[in-house]
Amino acid sequence: MAGTGKAHMRPEGDRVLVVEDLTVEFNLGKNKVVKAVSGVSFDLVRGETLAIVGESGCGKSTLGKAVLQLPKPTSGSVNFLSKELTTMSKSELRDMRPAMQMIFQDPVSSLDPRQPVSAVLAEPLQVWNKGSEVEIDQKIDELLTAVNLDPAVVRDRRSYEFSGGQCQRISIARALALDPTMIICDEPVSALDVSVQAQILNLLQDMKDRYGLTLVFISHDLAVVKTISTRVMVMYLGKVCEVATPDELYTNTKHHYTKALVGSVPIPDPDRPITGNLIQGEPPSPMSPPSGCRFRTRCPQASEKCAQEEPELREVSLGHFVACHHPID
Amino acid sequence: MSDTAVAPTTESPAVAIKKVRKKRPIGFYIAASWIGLVLFLGLFGWILPTPKWDASFFDSLGVGPFSKGHILGTTQDGYDEFAGLVNGARISIFVSFIAVTVGGGIGSFIGITSAYFRGTYDKIVVTFFNILLSIPNLVLSLALLSVLAYSDENHPSSTNRRVVVLIISLIVVIIPILGRIGRGATLQWSSREFVLASKSMGTKDFMIIRKHVLPNVAPALLAIGFLAIGSVIIVEGSLAILGIGVPGGASWGSMLANGRGNLEFSPWEVYCPALCIAFTVISCNWFGDYVRTALDQREAKI
Repeated sequence: MAGTGKAHMRPEGDRVLVVEDLTVEFNLGKNKVVKAVSGVSFDLVRGETLAIVGESGCGKSTLGKAVLQLPKPTSGSVNFLSKELTTMSKSELRDMRPAMQMIFQDPVSSLDPRQPVSAVLAEPLQVWNKGSEVEIDQKIDELLTAVNLDPAVVRDRRSYEFSGGQCQRISIARALALDPTMIICDEPVSALDVSVQAQILNLLQDMKDRYGLTLVFISHDLAVVKTISTRVMVMYLGKVCEVATPDELYTNTKHHYTKALVGSVPIPDPDRPITGNLIQGEPPSPMSPPSGCRFRTRCPQASEKCAQEEPELREVSLGHFVACHHPID
Repeated sequence: MSDTAVAPTTESPAVAIKKVRKKRPIGFYIAASWIGLVLFLGLFGWILPTPKWDASFFDSLGVGPFSKGHILGTTQDGYDEFAGLVNGARISIFVSFIAVTVGGGIGSFIGITSAYFRGTYDKIVVTFFNILLSIPNLVLSLALLSVLAYSDENHPSSTNRRVVVLIISLIVVIIPILGRIGRGATLQWSSREFVLASKSMGTKDFMIIRKHVLPNVAPALLAIGFLAIGSVIIVEGSLAILGIGVPGGASWGSMLANGRGNLEFSPWEVYCPALCIAFTVISCNWFGDYVRTALDQREAKI
């Protein structure tokens, strides 16, 4: 588990994004290197929603940002709309930016507290010279209406006057302003109330259908992922564990880590006994990850082989890939 | 998806600002009036019917305050005290304003860009700031002044040259102070997600600095800028005491320096400029504090 490999790639599909062997390392000096993402590959077919799940610190957000070259990954290739992003010059990369947008986790921090909403939404349009002032004004109203905010009410207000959910709507409107092909949503609902989460998820789904978007949805919440994604990729300590459709992943879990993740989703029933398949301990430090399979230190099935040999992703059933030497039957 | 935005119930910005205005502390009014008075005297003091500041009145040497024609008295050499203070205000404003705006401008630019771009440039800048900060202000200005404006009896340096060198040395003192503030605040703000969002939509770096970083960093810079005006006045005064301030007894510091030998005969020669310096420094600190509070942007909490 927690391995490399490209068995899950779909070269025959209409792929928007192809990421191969992406590695992101942060140099802390004194020979300390944090391996946040190690050799991750995945692809994104037009119109799908790929969910990337894993616990905090497993490199999900770093992966999302590395795809957008913020900052550039240490090695590996990111091919977006048949163009290689990692080797591009700064100005070439800038020309690609409108097609790939991002929505961030913290809705409040995503908006400049000194700018009214109209300025927030005008920025991308002005940067790319999308029409005259009047046209930009109209576009802002359109965007705000699309995310269910009343332009007349919100236009001149600043971020601190809004709730988290409203801020996130504005962030979504900003991401939509440049008619992107792909939006990377970095835990867009994890800072919100459960009731608001549902609204934002529905909004994202709506926008996806309306604008023909392809989404990468980063989350640690499997319940959220289930409702929105078409494919789920489970990550652990910078590596891919398992790739499958959400239904397959929940009903036919193959990876021990995924099983623990699924088991940790709370079920709102006070009478339900707590089952004992929770994994123990903390994830190892990404500065010195374990040899072989990275999950072996916490895995109930770990064997000698897991320490020596890194498992590769392999197909266990149609469209279901797992990187584990001893998958669950 | 079914809900529509509920109008936020918070009051409009105009009302909020009014409320803040009502809560201004008394210290703000005192500080603002003193700064206003100094500014007025410095800029328009020449209108007042005061005696000439650089003329010696031989018929009234060392007369006390409230004597005829000399409202704050004269020095032992017959110079009018009030006229001297008015002229000193002009010099103080000129020297500190130039030093703080130029030094602050250069310092903030270096600090903000170094924190924004990071990398080797940042490391060089931090080292540079640390070296400058490790030298006490006074020693640094002293060294610069004595090297750049060296003079002895055979090679007297001109007054203008001394003033220019004084301002340059004060600028060098200010650069790392405001540079570090700018750098620190930028580190905090440029890691925020709205900056990342701007980058991801293709906004150019200097545009991001101008539109997102600078407006958020400005309150801290303004507050420290006012503090810096205070410390520039103090440094100038200290240099004058050491005999290398603005020459000719023109600044408050030089008046203090010239008068300190006459403390027992005409204490007003020392008290008047000393009080002016003290009030101005305190007022700048209070005012800077107020500016920071007033510009502090509220942020929503989830």
